[in-house]
Amino acid sequence: MKLPLILLAVIAAASFAAPLFGGLFGTDPDMVDLLARLSGPSLTHPLGADELGRDVLLRLLAGGRVSLVIGIAAALASAVLGTLIGLTAGYLGGWVDRVLMRGTDAMIALPLLPLLIVLAALDLNKLGLPARLIQSDEISLIRIVALAVLVGWTTAARLVRGATLVTRNRDFVRAARSLGAGVPHILWLHILPNALGPLIVATTLSIGDVILFESVLSFLGLGVQPPLASWGSMLSNAQELITTAPLLAVYPGLMIFLTVAACNLLGDALQRRLDPTALRRR
Amino acid sequence: MMRFTAIRLVEIMAMLLLMSFIIYALIGLMPGDPIDLMRSADPRMSAADAARLKAMYGLDQPLLLRYAAWARQALAGDLGYSRLFAAPVWAALLPRLGNSLLLMAPSFALACAIALGFGIAAARRPGSRLDAAINLCCFAGVSLPTFWLALILILVFAAQLGWLPASGIATAGSGDIADRLRHLVLPVATLSLVSAAGYTRYVRAAMREALAQDHIRTARAKGASEGRIILHHALRTALVPVVTILALSFGGLVSGALVTETMFAYPGMGKLIFDAVMGNDYNLALAALLLATAVTMVANLAADLAYAWLDPRVSYR
Amino acid sequence: MNAIRERRWRNRIALSVSLLVCAATAMAQGTEHHTLTIGITQFPATLNPNLDVMAAKSYVLGMTLRPFTVYDADWKLACLLCTELPSIANGLAVPVDLPDGGKGIDLTYTIKPDAQWADGVPVTTADVRFTYDVGRNPQSGVSNAELYRRISAVDVKDDRTFTLHVDKLTFDYSALQDFVLLPAHIEQDAFVEPAQYRLRTHYNSEPTNPGLYNGPYRVSEFVAGSHILLEPNPHWAGPPGHFRRITVRAIENTAALEANLLSGTIDMIAGELGLPLDEGLAFSKRQGEAFQIVYKPGLVYEHVDLKLTQPALADRRVREGLILGLDREAISQSLFAGRQPVADTFVNPLDLGYTEEVPRYRHDPVRAAALLEAAGWTKGADGVRRNAQGEPLSLELMTTAGNRSRELVEQVLQSQWRQIGVDIRIKNEPARVLFGDTLPHRRFDMAMYAWISSPENVPRSILHSKEIPSEANGFVGQNTTGFANSEMDRLIDALEIELDAGRRKTLWAEAQRLYATELPSLPLYFRSDVFILPKWLSGVRPTGNQSPTTLWVTDWSVQP
Repeated sequence: MKLPLILLAVIAAASFAAPLFGGLFGTDPDMVDLLARLSGPSLTHPLGADELGRDVLLRLLAGGRVSLVIGIAAALASAVLGTLIGLTAGYLGGWVDRVLMRGTDAMIALPLLPLLIVLAALDLNKLGLPARLIQSDEISLIRIVALAVLVGWTTAARLVRGATLVTRNRDFVRAARSLGAGVPHILWLHILPNALGPLIVATTLSIGDVILFESVLSFLGLGVQPPLASWGSMLSNAQELITTAPLLAVYPGLMIFLTVAACNLLGDALQRRLDPTALRRR
Repeated sequence: MMRFTAIRLVEIMAMLLLMSFIIYALIGLMPGDPIDLMRSADPRMSAADAARLKAMYGLDQPLLLRYAAWARQALAGDLGYSRLFAAPVWAALLPRLGNSLLLMAPSFALACAIALGFGIAAARRPGSRLDAAINLCCFAGVSLPTFWLALILILVFAAQLGWLPASGIATAGSGDIADRLRHLVLPVATLSLVSAAGYTRYVRAAMREALAQDHIRTARAKGASEGRIILHHALRTALVPVVTILALSFGGLVSGALVTETMFAYPGMGKLIFDAVMGNDYNLALAALLLATAVTMVANLAADLAYAWLDPRVSYR
Repeated sequence: MNAIRERRWRNRIALSVSLLVCAATAMAQGTEHHTLTIGITQFPATLNPNLDVMAAKSYVLGMTLRPFTVYDADWKLACLLCTELPSIANGLAVPVDLPDGGKGIDLTYTIKPDAQWADGVPVTTADVRFTYDVGRNPQSGVSNAELYRRISAVDVKDDRTFTLHVDKLTFDYSALQDFVLLPAHIEQDAFVEPAQYRLRTHYNSEPTNPGLYNGPYRVSEFVAGSHILLEPNPHWAGPPGHFRRITVRAIENTAALEANLLSGTIDMIAGELGLPLDEGLAFSKRQGEAFQIVYKPGLVYEHVDLKLTQPALADRRVREGLILGLDREAISQSLFAGRQPVADTFVNPLDLGYTEEVPRYRHDPVRAAALLEAAGWTKGADGVRRNAQGEPLSLELMTTAGNRSRELVEQVLQSQWRQIGVDIRIKNEPARVLFGDTLPHRRFDMAMYAWISSPENVPRSILHSKEIPSEANGFVGQNTTGFANSEMDRLIDALEIELDAGRRKTLWAEAQRLYATELPSLPLYFRSDVFILPKWLSGVRPTGNQSPTTLWVTDWSVQP
């Protein structure tokens, strides 16, 4: 439990503190230096420079910021959306449950990647979004997060619905209802805490999935736009340089691996702690 | 059971119809127009030409009318004409479907075999070094992007060692089985390694749960052999979540593996869907996507029916 | 017993000997290289020469279908399917005065007497008439109907000779690249219902039909999305090609394409549709000794379009400041090892009309800063220039997403411009969006892309004021910068009809000087193609214009 937490904390801290590093060394991740192209490790470039002479370490940290933000934001947003839908379906039951679950099943049944391609290539102008938003720097990030949430909420929804179904008929809930407690009160105080365990596990695991998802989008040209760096885009850019400068690919790949592994380990450990049924194992 | 199946089938039909409209609308929301793109590639095309081509392909009508026309045709059995392949949709689809099945089925089977083998082995000795090693391999496999693995395999086995061909489905001019199998080795390896890592974790977790159940302890106490315990008692319960993922992955048989197909220049369904969507080829994209959706939904139905068989506690009114 | 053992031994010896012989012949064949496998990055959607414009298709058809004329490696017009180029001098081209006052021209061509389709049927004027009918018909779906509209009539003299009545006299009157013949005897039944032609064409339904091809090779196997196999045309009358089999394989991912080359699955990577230059350079650094690497700058003019109605860009001083702020030499040297020479105008140095006497812009950030200051943009505290109203000099730069070379160059441009106080936001879009929507609707500030032209291509659609896409004309035209200069209009109109070579040179020089002074777009460079060929292959001559090298496939052979 401790190891993955520490690992994640270190990665997150380093990434978010990166702008300070930039200040110290006087460089920034977007600074192009054509003379330093593909150079090896040196004093000014501890991990070397990429194909445009930009410092690899700074880009790695900046990329970490982007990848982690996307991962965490998408995971949290999916969790929230999924919880809302799961609670509604589980508590209200009847045709509401039926419709929502059919919708969830349909969502799960869709061939993921092709649909995401369609969605990622949509023309935002045609959707009627405000122009200022479309032209902002963050739009590619928001787009990726939106896509990840669109496909990610189903896990949380199913989990929460399952837990709700089980809990809502328990005695203490019926007691609360008979005492006149309102629905939101019941959902928040009684039902949700029981669903929290598996939900937290699922959310932690999904951070890793989102980061991988972002790298595939970058491979297809639909990910973050340059000069913004993310581990996924660094990795897919490095494909072509694999024999000239293999380390350019190793670093982001390693970071993705460590982060995803840490997330998965953390999720596993959390499951052991939080999942009540696990108590039955020795 | 019969009623349940019938209701589900009707729901699937309704879902497909809804999906077809949503996909049609989504592709319509994609910017630009295939004729505009053609025009930018050939500067000598005039406005009159463009208008003529647009009318010919029916692109000058509003979305709803176009969709209605497509739906009418499709329900009558005519899937239309693929602009991108300059052929009827089914003529463009069928060979690619065949290629995809040839690629996905063995990968699927291999991944399942690996997952069951390693997952059960890890679950039998929880906390041991074997368990930890398998766990680590799974993490590695799950954290590795597919295009990365594909590239490494190509570089090592094709470029460096020269044992296997680097791309394609067959050597030109020969179509024999041995040649086609040689071309399948690397793509199948890529796909199955990546999927196996994910599946193994599920199997391992499910088996661990199952092995800790009360009825296993009872069986052990009654003196049943280890093998019988695993195969007969634990596996059944453990297979439930496994069947879930299998059903979900079934749709992949038809929607292909875009990244692998691109890396290995393997003409399968994944690449077809991608090209069709990016090329604004409505007919082809719709047909392919709906096919994939239908297959997944039917697989889900089969999975639900399988649950009832696997776990006697589950029943359907 | 002995007899049996003896027989067994004899069998074993026979088997080994035959195996050795097989191996020997295989090795011998291997060293003789009778087959060639070419890798390209795109698979042609259709092989019909007149539907759809695609570079992959031109590449494959270069080996299988002869056009009438072509610009060769010396950038001269040459006859491939005809016997003689019509010119006014030899009397085969006769200018006529048209009833509406314009000038047209009658051109007489004769098909080479030994030209045959691969099924033995001779190429005749029946094919000419059929192709003309298909092209003229508005329902057939041909992509460049403009060509057929210009030909008002076709007169057939005999089996081989015909006269085209063209309604506009232009300087390149004898160029007939785009009039590619369709075999009447095969395609006729597909054209019975013109609206169904593109659905029924035999090029799609049975692409291996030999009668569809009249070049040195014919298509013998067509696996959509994967490869095309070509074999020699038995009825080809010209010099035969060396190779008994040519395979064209499509591999979209360039890293995989390289790996295929290294593993021997493909023998060469075509320059027309192969690796982008920076990848080719990286490849040559690692593996250059094992291959022949040929670089050839071409007619692909990479530039940055500036929307002249953008308030900041409307001022010529700002445009000049922008180009002075770029160190294009450094980009060319460090990113492209000098293989993509810096361009000064849209005219390629190999082109007839090229002149060196144009304003040239060296990297001069001091002068750039001075110009920007003079235009009213002063540097603020954050390094970005602002005008009197406090608005920042902030522009959006677009290019095709997913194109790594362009993305690299974009980032260098952004960085260099930041140093003179110009803030650049990068916004890339997929090609279909950029070309299909954004550019025609002029929703950009700066757009980096390429113009593909042909030798002496008059820039009407990109620089003439009538070709500005707008609401009024349905967003047609490629003058996306909005360049409206009456002098340039006059030069363009004159260039199209001026027949005298000397006077043309003068007109071209003036046009280039005007372009380089006004700077409606910023010239970057002419993109180079990289050809990666095996050491044993000779005869591949990149042209640098848009004619694919495959048109001369019969010159390709194995070096001794």
